Amino acid sequence: MSDSLSDDGSINQDDSQEDVMTPAELIAKLEEAWLNEKFSPELLENKSEVVECVMEQLTHMENNLQRVKKGDAKASVHRMEIDRIRFVLSSYLRSRLQKIEKFFPHVLEKEKSRGEGDPSLLSPEEFAFAKEYYANTETYLKAVALKRMPPNLQTVDLLKAVPEPCLDSFVFLRVKERQENILVEPETDDQREYVVDLEEGSQHLIRYRTIAPLVSSGAVQLI
Amino acid sequence: MDPSEVEFLAEKEMVKIIPNFSLDKIYLIGGDLGPFNPGLPVEAPVWLALNFKQRQKCRIVPPEWMDVEKLEEMRDLERKEDTFTPAPSPYYMELSKLLLNHASDNIPKADEIRTLVKDIWDTRIAKLRLSADSFISQQEAHAKLDNLTLMEINTVRAFLLDSLNCMFKLRSNLRPGSSKGQSLDY
Amino acid sequence: MDAQSYLPVQPGVGMEENFFSLDDILLSHERLPVRTECTFPRLGFLEKSSDSPDIPEGTKMELPVWLSKGLYERKRRVLSVELPKVYREGWRTVFTADPNVVDLHKMGPYYYGLGSQMLHFESPENPDIAQTLLQTFIGRFRRTMDSSQNAYNEDTSALVERLDCLEKTLFRSGQSGLNGFQSWEKGRASTLTASSLVLNYRKRKINDVQP
Repeated sequence: MSDSLSDDGSINQDDSQEDVMTPAELIAKLEEAWLNEKFSPELLENKSEVVECVMEQLTHMENNLQRVKKGDAKASVHRMEIDRIRFVLSSYLRSRLQKIEKFFPHVLEKEKSRGEGDPSLLSPEEFAFAKEYYANTETYLKAVALKRMPPNLQTVDLLKAVPEPCLDSFVFLRVKERQENILVEPETDDQREYVVDLEEGSQHLIRYRTIAPLVSSGAVQLI
Repeated sequence: MDPSEVEFLAEKEMVKIIPNFSLDKIYLIGGDLGPFNPGLPVEAPVWLALNFKQRQKCRIVPPEWMDVEKLEEMRDLERKEDTFTPAPSPYYMELSKLLLNHASDNIPKADEIRTLVKDIWDTRIAKLRLSADSFISQQEAHAKLDNLTLMEINTVRAFLLDSLNCMFKLRSNLRPGSSKGQSLDY
Repeated sequence: MDAQSYLPVQPGVGMEENFFSLDDILLSHERLPVRTECTFPRLGFLEKSSDSPDIPEGTKMELPVWLSKGLYERKRRVLSVELPKVYREGWRTVFTADPNVVDLHKMGPYYYGLGSQMLHFESPENPDIAQTLLQTFIGRFRRTMDSSQNAYNEDTSALVERLDCLEKTLFRSGQSGLNGFQSWEKGRASTLTASSLVLNYRKRKINDVQP
């Protein structure tokens, strides 16, 4: 087996301010992003850099594997690992596409109102997808129904017709970094608001809105 | 989430295997494995261990908790306590299924273990339903769920979260003006 | 025209309530007993029981939710809406006593959805109605959960027969969790099966060939 497979070096990102991450940490980041995206009611910030780095790793490994002769015992293990990582990667991207399809007008609206320096919610590819999806939906609605309506009823405001993500949904989470004084709002009038501390490693069921910032900062993991 | 995806996560757990072949260290993207030497126990992720096992390249050493005596103790404790006791493993259900289905010849008293795990599961699921009901009827805003495993959460997830959503909407009826439904005036 | 005009009725309390939701559309067609508070000129043809060209003030009739909601105004009385029986005090007492005995399908089937819509019409009873809706849901939760989580591989029609539409949706999500787990446990999740769409498509092709 060629030595190039023994490549366990760290990924040094081009912009050197980024922390150096080992491939194992990178895969862990991808899995985190995958589960968070699966369980959060809204579309999260895109993780293009993670996706790109993982893609790079996979391509690199696949190139190495092409040079290995058939029946190599190690190669089959590497292939299995590649398949597993690929599964997580595609499932992650797919769950983002599903959310874009579900909330497209709101996703685009949020992207529009984003400030200059703020990070983009969508990757360039996802943005193109969302715009196209919007245009296609509009064209379709026009063709099958709207053009047969009286002239004053020929528009549908998709922002109003498509439901918004419900940030009041409950989510399950595991705490990665201890958090103090999380304010839990009361559910009924005769309850009072109270604060909880989220201990590292503990698991909770709580309203997404309460902990949404902790999901994006990486302090909690949705499960 | 699909149960097979929970199983996928469980397959990352490490398990001890005793290989019957030799192979140098493998440098996987997710970390190093091996080296593998005949007769020498070594750690491997479950996905790989099962693959070796199916190709008759290794024997799997069952995890420590996968033992009739230990599981009996846990079952009894689980039945006695009202709260959730620590699960044998965060992936006890998935690992039992995987290992018992594919490597039962390496696990002593496999059938008894299967029954015990199922008993523990059933007891815990019954508790889970009880707490879900009280969460709903007390209209709680937050619950601590330590010791619940992902597979357990996953079987009630859709139902519980959907119910909580419905309840939220019904509750916002109680505060006129605060709900979206009433803000529009015709 | 007002941009909101196509949403005369606010979404119900379903899972995915929205403009395109079939359940919401059906809900907005539920009929409400109303009484006209002024004359509706030249709309007599809608009221089959009289030959008058107008609908006179004080006529009792049934109108769908979307229309009642559109015509209802707080300041100028156009029509008044009567509370359907199931939301009135008599029934509310029944729900408080034991919400599980009521056949919500027969009384609904949009008990929660329509109830929430009724709150848009002003009435001193509204707080009590809202409270009863919530308590009924909570009171029936355990039964909905248990029946959806215990019935595996059996005919569930008897179990859902008395459930409201919303509860039926919940029942189904409970069932999908249970079925997913059970088939995983039996090892069925790992076998790929052809989508029914593909199978039907093939059948149709064969049918097309044989006239």
